[in-house]
Formats: sequence, structure tokens, C-alpha cells
Amino acid sequence: MSFEALRALVQGWAGAGLLPAGLTHGFLVNALLSGLVIGPVLGGLGTLVVTKRLAFFSEAVGHAALTGVAIGILVGEPYTGPYASLFGYCLLFALLVNYTRNRSNLTADTLIGVFLSVSLALGASLLLILASRVNIHILENVLFGSVLTVDDRDLTVLLAVATGVTALMLPLFNRLLLASFNPALARVRGVPVKGLDYLFIVLVTVVTVASVKIIGAILVGALLVIPAAAARVVASSLRGFFLLSVAFASVAAVAGILLPVQLALPVPSGGAIILAAGLLFLGALLARLFMKGDEG
Amino acid sequence: MTGRGIHGPAILFDRVDLTLGRTAILEGVSLHVAAGTVHAVVGPNGGGKSSLIRALLGQAPHRGIIRLDWPGDGPGTVAYVPQSVEFDRGLPLTVEDFLAVLCQRRPAFLGPDRRMGYGEALARVGMAGKERRRFGALSGGERQRVLLAQALIPAPDLIVLDEPMTALDEAGIAIFDSLLADLAAAGTTVLWVEHDLAQVRRLATRVTGLNKHVLFDGHPLEMLSPERVFDLFSSVPRRAATERIAS
Repeated sequence: MSFEALRALVQGWAGAGLLPAGLTHGFLVNALLSGLVIGPVLGGLGTLVVTKRLAFFSEAVGHAALTGVAIGILVGEPYTGPYASLFGYCLLFALLVNYTRNRSNLTADTLIGVFLSVSLALGASLLLILASRVNIHILENVLFGSVLTVDDRDLTVLLAVATGVTALMLPLFNRLLLASFNPALARVRGVPVKGLDYLFIVLVTVVTVASVKIIGAILVGALLVIPAAAARVVASSLRGFFLLSVAFASVAAVAGILLPVQLALPVPSGGAIILAAGLLFLGALLARLFMKGDEG
Repeated sequence: MTGRGIHGPAILFDRVDLTLGRTAILEGVSLHVAAGTVHAVVGPNGGGKSSLIRALLGQAPHRGIIRLDWPGDGPGTVAYVPQSVEFDRGLPLTVEDFLAVLCQRRPAFLGPDRRMGYGEALARVGMAGKERRRFGALSGGERQRVLLAQALIPAPDLIVLDEPMTALDEAGIAIFDSLLADLAAAGTTVLWVEHDLAQVRRLATRVTGLNKHVLFDGHPLEMLSPERVFDLFSSVPRRAATERIAS
């Protein structure tokens, strides 16, 4: 089924009153589809991000997207989707951070802080140079996400990335986790620790970049972290951790896209998605207070 | 586990050197571990015991030869029990989840693969019925037992133990005794790095004293005399001790 046919179907159901009235708008259907695609993937991958203590890294990659967009506009890519520069710059940024992390005596957070600051400085400088060339307000969409700007090309990119990331993440889930527990034990069990380390960095990067359009560069890393953090607070097993994280991320994505439109709130989609995730995290914390946890 | 004959490999270390940065960790280490024996390696902290294991497992660049002679057609199963695992203690990870992460291909969040025999392995280390306990909430000794349990899945031909008794209580030590006896009876080769010389005297078939060089190698009751132990743990390793013992 093409996006066009799917959109028409959803719009038909919305017109018939089976779905929220806002979904009669094609742009909102696009945004909802992207949320439904990316929410579960970010939620699932987030469990690994939190376990491997890469929350700050995922935030940094999201922020690097800002510079990627600036470079894209500078080299003449369309400002609505400068994907070559986005993927290229963010992958370079992520791989460079990981390469340097393995070869410097700095802690990971210090090193990421250095790379993040330099990258943001570069992005801000480029954007000031570009201010005369493009409507600078376009950048608000890049920074905070927008439901208005998701087109079929964005959906295709998102679907391709989500499918690829899921196809790699699921069969490698145990190995990715084991590598962070004890690299020596992982190697004895046949896990190529260093290779998987880089692969995971690439997975986080591509899924982050693909989500920038809907969630925004500033906030995209948060959807990798907050749902997983909320799930970690209330779950008592790995199954609960993973499934709750997927559920929380999906609910946050859908709520963040639909609620501002339904309630006529002037809030960008990225902000609404992360606020919804934040509320779920708060709920999880409160639930934890009333739960009898097995603390041994 | 019994009745399979000797199925573990013999291990040869021949003039193994290992240097980290500018520091020589191992120098000219030559050692033979007989197939199907419990071979202990003792020595002071920083003497190169764990580095020897890392070299054996192919995880430390070294010079010299390390060769495993397997009795069958191809290499068998190698298991490793580290001193500890680094992880977030608050992680929602049950004992069974932990074993699933280590031992099965199916994503651990889909649940444990019952065919892997996690319950049986946990029972062998005295952890039966604790599958659903949170791994991070276990005591150090219990975690060590789970690390021993993972090494039994699948049944190992060579098991490498890196100070596995550090956190064990008396009950844990008794379980470790019986496990080691089972492995030896089954013909598994056990390479065991240990700091507790009394346990080595009691349980090992052979012992090697290592402090950068091999200082002695032989039967534990003969080798672990007060004089040799003093030599081993003295700050400056004396290669001459090996020659003295050999003569």
C-alpha cells in the first residue's frame, strides 16, 4: 500500500468519525505515521542506550544534526530535507567520538562535551553565515520538530531506517548487552565487541537523524532516553523493561503529535512528544513509590 | 557430565612475553597444562595471572606460542568465569535474564529459552529457585555462583576461572569444591587463577607460581612450601628460584 492510499484510508476513517477529526489533514496523518514507526524503534533501542550509559552520547548526536542541516543548506541541499549532509555529518561526528573515546584517557562525558560544544559552535557559525540565504525560522522546525513538514520522502527514509535498525537490533540484542557487562566474557562467547560497539553507535545515529524532522534536533535524543528510563524505574525483568520502553515511546510519540492539534495548543511536535514522555516518566516514578520492589 | 573421558585440551605456553605500554607483564613464560587436569596459577597481585588468561583467550597481544591441543577433531567449548561483571545494579535484569543474555541467541527480552538448561545449571551452583531474583540485588557470593553457572552452559571442555572464590561464603566454597570435582571427573581441563593457597593445595592437580616469570610448577603439596610461597610473593621476582627448584 502506498503512502497516498494509506493517507486516504486514514483520512476517510477520520472523516467518518472513527478517528480524531484532526486526521482529516494529510500532514497530520504523515506525522502520525512517522510517530508510529519511530516510537517503538526509539523505545527499544533506548533500553540499550540506557543500559550502556550512552544517554549523553545520544543527546549529542541529536544536537549534531543542527550542524548537519547547516552544512546541507551550505552545499545546496534542499533545506526541507538535507539528508546527505545530515547522515554524513552525524555519522562522522559519532564515529569520531567513539574512535577518540577508545584512544584517549578522558572520561566519555568529558569527551562528548568537547565534541558537542565544538559541533554546536560550528553549526551556529554556519547558520549565521546562511541567515541571509534562507528563512531562519525554518530552523525552528529543525530544532524542535514540526508536524507540518513531514512528506513522503521523509516517511520513506524513516521506514527504511526503522526497518534496518530493527532487523539488526533484535538478533544482536543479547550480544550488544553482553558486550557492556564484561567485554572479556563477551569475546569468549564469540561476541565481536569492538565491531558491535561501532555498529551500535551507527544504529543510534541513523535512527536519531531520521527522527529529527518530527522530534527536532534538540529533543530527539530525549526520546531514546526518557521512555527507557521510565521503564527501568518500574520494570522488574528485561521483558518488562523492553516492552514498557517501547510502549512509553510509542504513546509519547502519538500523544505528542495528536494532542496539540486536537487541543489547538501552539506547541511544536518535538516539545509535545518529550513533554508526554516526561509525564510518563513522572508517572513511573510515582508508581515506583507505591510498588513493592524486589531490592534483595 | 561423567563418562566422556578426557575431552579438555592440553595447553602449551612457550616463551610467552606480554608487555603493556613500557611495562613487561609476562617474560618468557613457559608452561604446560595437561588435558583434563585442574591446573592452578598463583602469584601476587600484578604478577601477570589475569594477563596470562587474557593472552590465552586471545585478548592480549603477546609474543611466543600459546597452543591448545584438542583431543577431538576440532576445538571444543571454552568457558570463562571472570572475577566480576560491570553493570548497573538497578537494572531490571533477573538471574534468568542474565543467563539468557549470555547463552541464547533469541533476544533475552522474549524470555529464557527453556532448552538451554538454566535451571539445572543454577541448581548445580546452589541457586535453584532464584531464577526470578534481580541479578543486581544478589550478594557478591550469589553473583559469583551465577557466573559459575553460566560457564556450565553449554558443557565446557576447557574452563578458565579468574579468582572465582573471592566472594564465596562457606556454602559457596563447598559447592565450588563439588563442581570442580565434577569437572575433573568429566575430563574437563580447568585453568584456575587463585589467590587462596589453602584451596589450591586442597583442590588443584598441579600449581604454577607466576610473578612475571614462572617461579615454580608442580604438585601443590610439594610446591607450596613456605619458602617458595615467600619467594613468590616477594616484591622482586627471582627467576633463579625456578632454576633452583628445577635442580
